[in-house]
Amino acid sequence: MFAALAHLPARVAVALLLGAPAALHAQQVQTPPPDSTPRGPVSRARAFPAVQQALLVNVFVNRLDVCCLDMPTQRVSLNSWSRNLRAGWEWDENQFGTNLFMHPYHGSLYFNAGRSRGMGFWESAPLSFLGSWTWEFLGENNRPALNDFFMTSFGGIALGEMFHRLTAMIRDNQAHGGRRLRRELATLPLDPIGGLNRFLGRRRVSQEPNPPEHTPGLLVVRLHAGARILSDSLIKTAGGLPTVMMDLVYGDPWLEPYHKPFDAFIVRAAIGEGGINLLRASGRLYGKEMTGPEARHRHLFQVNQRFDYASNSAYHIGGQSVEFGISSRWRLSRNVRFRTQVYLDGIILGGIDAPGTGVGERTYDFGPGVGIRLQGVLEIAGVPFVVYFLQSEYVHAVSGASADHYVEASGLELTLPVTRRFGLTAQGIDYGRLSRYSDRPDQERQFPEVRVLLSWTWVSRQRTPQ
Amino acid sequence: MRVSPWHAIALLGVVTTPLAAQRPHRTGLWAELCNGPSLVRIASSASTEVTTKTGFGSCFRVGGTLSNKVLLGVETFGFLDKTFGFGTRDTSVVAETGTIAVVVLWFPWRSGFFLKGGVGTGQGKFTVFPSPGQPVVAEGVGVGLTYGLGFDLPISRKFALTVNAAAVVNAIGDLVLPTTRVEDVIATMYHVALGIAVR
Repeated sequence: MFAALAHLPARVAVALLLGAPAALHAQQVQTPPPDSTPRGPVSRARAFPAVQQALLVNVFVNRLDVCCLDMPTQRVSLNSWSRNLRAGWEWDENQFGTNLFMHPYHGSLYFNAGRSRGMGFWESAPLSFLGSWTWEFLGENNRPALNDFFMTSFGGIALGEMFHRLTAMIRDNQAHGGRRLRRELATLPLDPIGGLNRFLGRRRVSQEPNPPEHTPGLLVVRLHAGARILSDSLIKTAGGLPTVMMDLVYGDPWLEPYHKPFDAFIVRAAIGEGGINLLRASGRLYGKEMTGPEARHRHLFQVNQRFDYASNSAYHIGGQSVEFGISSRWRLSRNVRFRTQVYLDGIILGGIDAPGTGVGERTYDFGPGVGIRLQGVLEIAGVPFVVYFLQSEYVHAVSGASADHYVEASGLELTLPVTRRFGLTAQGIDYGRLSRYSDRPDQERQFPEVRVLLSWTWVSRQRTPQ
Repeated sequence: MRVSPWHAIALLGVVTTPLAAQRPHRTGLWAELCNGPSLVRIASSASTEVTTKTGFGSCFRVGGTLSNKVLLGVETFGFLDKTFGFGTRDTSVVAETGTIAVVVLWFPWRSGFFLKGGVGTGQGKFTVFPSPGQPVVAEGVGVGLTYGLGFDLPISRKFALTVNAAAVVNAIGDLVLPTTRVEDVIATMYHVALGIAVR
C-alpha cells in the first residue's frame, strides 16, 4: 500500500492523510478518550489507524519536499528502495541542528500518531521506530542514515511524550468558543498530529472530561531573560549575548509515586544566537521510593530518559541517553531542605564537535558513551536558592574522527528573590572537553560561561495529580 | 511403535493447539537460545561499496516481565564467518561480531507474535591472514542496535519453540587493516533463527 502511496500527487496524499482520522471517527464510539491508556492488548481499532497515519506522515512530507521544495533526495522510486534495502545503513553529513533537533521533532509526529489515539507510551514507542525506519529506507533516495534512525526514534519518543503531556495540559475539553480555539491552535506547533486528529475527530468542540495529563499535580514555569558571557580558553575570546531561558517542572516525584512514563519531567530551553540553542529534558521512565513518604530523609530510585541538545557559537553537544540513580531529599529544618541527585547514564548515541571531527561536510562526531551526574540543591520553603551540578561524560566516536571525547560540565546557580514572583539569578557554568585522537595530538579546551538573568516564576499545584 | 514424521507433526499439532489457546508467551523469569543462518553486510563512510557475506549467528536472551504484554531482557548475539573478505573474491578474513543489548519484547496481541527492539554495545573483530606474515587483528567497539520479530509456539507448559527474524546493527568506528583503514564501519547482520524458550 505504501509503495503505491509514495507515487501519489501531493494533494491525494494530503487527502489520504486527512482521511485517515476521518475514517477513525466512525470507530470512536468504542475508543476511549485520547489521553487515557487502558490496560490489555492493543486494540486493532487504535493501532492500525495509528500505524497508517505514521506512514502517511512520511508520504505527506515526501510529497511536500518534492512538489514544493524541489528536493532531489526525496525523489524516490522502486529502484531507490531496492538500492537502499540492499546497501543498508550509513552515517549522514547533515548539520548539527538538523540531526539532533529537527529529526527528534519529526519522530514526535510518529509517536503522537499513537498517543493521540489513546495508545500508551510503550505502545506508541514502536511507531517512532517504524516511522523512522520507513522514512530512512523508503522516504529518501540516499542511503538510510543510522544516526537519523537513533535520533528520530529515541528523541521522538522523549519529545513526543513531553509534547503530548504539555498539549493535554493546554487544551481544555470543557472550554467553549474562542478560548477553546486559541488553546487548540496554541498546541499545534508542539503536537500537530494530535491537533489534526482532534480537529477531524471533532474532539476540538466536544465537551468531555479532561484527561489525567491535564492536571499534572505540580507545574512550575520559570522564565529568565538577561545576558550571558561565553568565553573560549583556546582562542582567548569572550562575548556577551542576550538570552531568554525557560525552566519547566511537570509533576513532582516527591509528591506523586510513579504511575506512567514521563509523569514527572523537567525541561530547560534557551533561545539566543538566532534560535533554540539549548534544550535539555529528563523524564521519569520508572521510579520507586526507597523510604516512606513520612521519613525525615527520603530517597527515590529513578530511571530517566534524557534528551540533550546544546548548540551555540562555542560548542555543539547533544544526544539521547538513559540514566538511573538516586534522588534524595534531606530535611535540615522545618523549611530548609537539601536535595541531592547521583545518576549514572548511558548515552545511546551522542553528537559532539571538536577540531578534526566529523566526516565530509559534517563537523562533529557520533558515538555512544557513559557518564555520571551529580547535583545538590538548597531549597527554602520549596523554592531552590542554590544549585550546584557536575556532569561528566565519555563519548567514543564511531563516526567521524578516530577519537574519544571526555566532557565535563559544572555549574553554580544562585537565585535571589526580589518579589513573590520575580528574582535575580546568576549562573556560572564551565564546560570543558578533552579529545584524545588516535592520529593527532590531544586537545583540551574550556568554555566558561556566566549568565545574569531576571527571573519570573509561576507555580501551580493542582488537586488531581496523575 | 514406529512414529513417522507425519505422525509426529500431527501429534505436535494436537499438543500445541490447546496450549496456544492459553496465554502463549513467557512469564516470570524466561530464557531463550537461538541459532540460524545470518547474512552480514559491512558498510563504511569512505566507500559506497558494501561487502555482503553469509555466516552463522546465535543468540541468547534472558529476562523478566514488565507487564502482560511487555518483556524486558538482555540479549547477546554472536556472528561468525570464517571466509569473510573485504574484496569480491577475498575469503582470507575471519569476521566475528558480538552484541550485548537491553531488549524489549512486545506481544501486541494474545498470540505468540512479538516485536523486538533493543540497544546496547556492539563489537567487531576481523582477523586478516596476510601471506606471508602473522595474522593481524582489527577490532572496533561501538553501539549495537537490534530489531525484529518472532513467534512463540508453546510445546509444553515450560517450553516454547521460537522463530526469530532480526537485524543486528553494530556501528564500530574505524578499522585499521594491514593495507588500509576502513572508516566508520557499520556491520549489519540479518538473522533468521529457530530457538527454544523456557519460562
